[in-house]
Formats: sequence, C-alpha cells, structure tokens
Amino acid sequence: MAQPPLWRRLYDNAERAVAPRLESVVQTEHFARATALAGWAQATARAQVTALSARVWHLVNLPSGTDITRLRTQIGALDREVRRLALHLEQQQAHNDGRTDGKETDGADARPL
Amino acid sequence: MPTLDPYSVLERVRRDVERNALRARNGIRLAATCVRPSVGCTPKDVVWRRGRTELWHYRNDDSRVAPSLLIVFSLISRSYILDLSPGNSLIERLLKAGFDVWLLDWGVPDERDAQNQLEDYVDDYIPAGIARVLELTGRDKVNLLGYCFGGDLALLHAAHHPDSPLRSLTVMATPVDFRHMGPLADVFGVGGLDVADVLDADGNVPPQVVLQGFRTLKPTSQVTRYVDLWERLWNDEYVAAYQAMTAWSDDHVPFPGAVAEEVVRMLVRDNGFITDRLIVGGDRVHLADVRCPFLTVLANRDHIVPEPAAAPLIELVGAPDKHELRLDAGHIGLVVGKTAARTTIPTIIDFLQQRSEVST
Repeated sequence: MAQPPLWRRLYDNAERAVAPRLESVVQTEHFARATALAGWAQATARAQVTALSARVWHLVNLPSGTDITRLRTQIGALDREVRRLALHLEQQQAHNDGRTDGKETDGADARPL
Repeated sequence: MPTLDPYSVLERVRRDVERNALRARNGIRLAATCVRPSVGCTPKDVVWRRGRTELWHYRNDDSRVAPSLLIVFSLISRSYILDLSPGNSLIERLLKAGFDVWLLDWGVPDERDAQNQLEDYVDDYIPAGIARVLELTGRDKVNLLGYCFGGDLALLHAAHHPDSPLRSLTVMATPVDFRHMGPLADVFGVGGLDVADVLDADGNVPPQVVLQGFRTLKPTSQVTRYVDLWERLWNDEYVAAYQAMTAWSDDHVPFPGAVAEEVVRMLVRDNGFITDRLIVGGDRVHLADVRCPFLTVLANRDHIVPEPAAAPLIELVGAPDKHELRLDAGHIGLVVGKTAARTTIPTIIDFLQQRSEVST
C-alpha cells in the first residue's frame, strides 16, 4: 500500500500526540464545572439584558420579547394538550369501535415522498 | 540507496497533477455548494401524522418478512442517517431482505413541542405508530427497532407497556448508564448546569448546543475532517460520502426542553435505568418488564454512546430470549459504512428473520 504523503504523516503524528490529551481534558470534572459555569454566566447575562429591554418596552406600554415568549409557551402547552387529547381519543375510538382496514386518520393521507 | 526510476517519477508527477486538477474542481464545487448530496432517497409514503411527528412507510414490492419492522428514531438528529445514500443505507438493505419497513420520524420540534415529555413519545406516539402499522398491515404484532436515544424511547415503551404487541425489540447504540456519557452528561450531572440555562426562545435545547456538545467529545475531529477531505478531495466518491456524512453530522434538530429536563433529572442525575428509578407518565417503569425477544447492538469504538454506557443494558432487561452484539465500530459505523454492511445489518436481519415469518 502506498504511504501517505509527508504532510499527512506529520499531521497524524501531531494529532496522535494532541488528541488524547484534549480528550482527557474534556472528560474531567473541572471541564464539566467550567462549562457549566460558562453556560450559567451566559444565561444570567442574557436574562439581565432581556429584563432590561422588557422594562424599556413596558415603559412605552408595548409587549416585550419575554411577553411573546410567554405567549408562545402557553400556545405550545395548549397545542400539546390538544395533540395528546386527539391521540387518546383516537386510541379510545379504536378500542370502542374496532377500526376497519385502511381507514384514514386525521392528516393521514398517504402521500409519496 | 534506492534507485530513482524516471518512469515512476514521471508517473507520480502525472498522478499528482491530475489529482490537483480534480482537487481544484471538487474544491470549487464544495465551496460553491452547487452539488448537494442526495440523502434519504428510498421512496416512502407518509401514512400518519400528528404535530411534527410522521409515520413513514417505505415502499417494497418484494415484502416477504412478517411482521413489519417499525423503527423509532432519536430525538436529537435527523433520521436520514438510516437512509444516507443509495448503496449505503440501512433501510435499503432491510427492504432488499424483504422487510416491510416503517419509521417514526419526530420532525423538527418547535415551540409547540417544548413541553413534550417522555410520556408523549413513550405512551402516545409510539403506541399510535404501532396501532397505525397494525391497522394498515392487518397483522397483530410488529418488530420494534430503536436507534440511539430512539432505543431509550423504545425501551421505555416496552417496559411501560408489557402488553404492547411487540414480536421483538432491537436497540442500537442505546445508552443506559448515563454516568459514562462523558462531557455531554457531565455538564449537567457533575457540573450542575440547569437545562433552563441552555434553552432558546422556543423553550427547546437549540441544535447548536447539541452540535457543540458532540464536537467537544472529539476536539480535533473538526480539523481532522478537513485534513481527510484535502487528502482525498480528488476522489469523487469520497467527496460525495463526505458531503452526505458532514451534512448529517452538522444537521441537528432542537431537543424538546421538557424532555431535556426529564432526561437530565431522571437519566443523568438519578441514573434511572441503572438505579431502577424510572417514572413515565406518573408510573414506575422497570426494564425487567421488557419480556419480548431482545437484541442490543453496541459499538466498541462509539465515542457518543461509549461502550460502558450501553453495556449494562443486557443485564437489565427481563427478556428470557435476549442477545447482545458487540461490534468493532463507531456510533455511526453501526448503520452506515463497511462495518454496517458487513456485520451489523446482516446480524440484525438474521435476528429479526429468526423471530418472523419469512415467505419465499
């Protein structure tokens, strides 16, 4: 088999030396704690900025991004409830009535992809 | 001292010139992204849909194996890895072996999925998918196959619903001991980071966070992949495979926020699979209640779900007919590439065929 080119062999040697060290660093508890701390700091900074901008928008009686997020969360929760209800109804109906083969369910029209 | 053969020198120069020309051509194509990889090409039909979730049925004129095979995919990546490209596709091989293949695809979660919990998938979507398969095939059982976190969902389903009409359960690269999941879990487990701190405005864990988490596992892999590409940029086949693979590995989907919180609390901090402290939909769930024929496939060189994270599973399930297959492969190598083609897929096919009716 042909040998890889010189530049590739140099890279492989360097990678073999560096990769295990880096991989063992990311496996340490210190790395996990540092990453968590960085994530927490980022989230805290983001929350401060969001709170500040919300106060500004509320001053002029306009909804802020957090208000929209809250609405979206509520819509999401409602959507989930409806979906679960629909699924439970479907299951219940299947138990009660006994379904005929090939009967379509809501949004179930087979379409080729 | 080795003699310098002018013909071989000329041949090398000619080859290098030719390869550099091809490198330039493929490099321009890649940079201009004018050639997109064809992924997920096997023809299929959407036979059921609820929210973002779809049930796909792959077309097969030569279906000889019953019952049908329902695949449950992971929640954090795209399912086309199972049907990556023609000739390198788990789905394609299963169809060729005569299976009737169905797949539950979770789609791309948005703010409407942020409050989904594990029970939504385990108690609602998977049973609905199974019911739809049974309804359309007229059979009374299915073979269930879960990949990666989809394996966890399938396991929880089988454990929470011991009466579920499963002929068999196969899971691939499925973690159960989350202490060994490495930095991905440690940041939340050991580091104590709250899931709420990484959620986006939709209330989901953004795909960039998931992607960054995976990249951290192999810090040099990003550089190495470009080095590999440069070395083989002249090879059209390699470039096509590279494009398909990197397109998939960079293409994650948001992870529903409430599921992420549940996973961190129950599976990472409590290590629920190992400590038998699993709760789904308010009920205690025990892996010992998985009684159907069971196969777990794990990869020795898996850096995403390391071998110690998947290995205890075989002891935890209560099935009398249970098997473990360990392969010398990586996480993705279980479903695409040479190891998959040579070992994983034939073994899975063999396992399923032995527990199915095969008509000739």
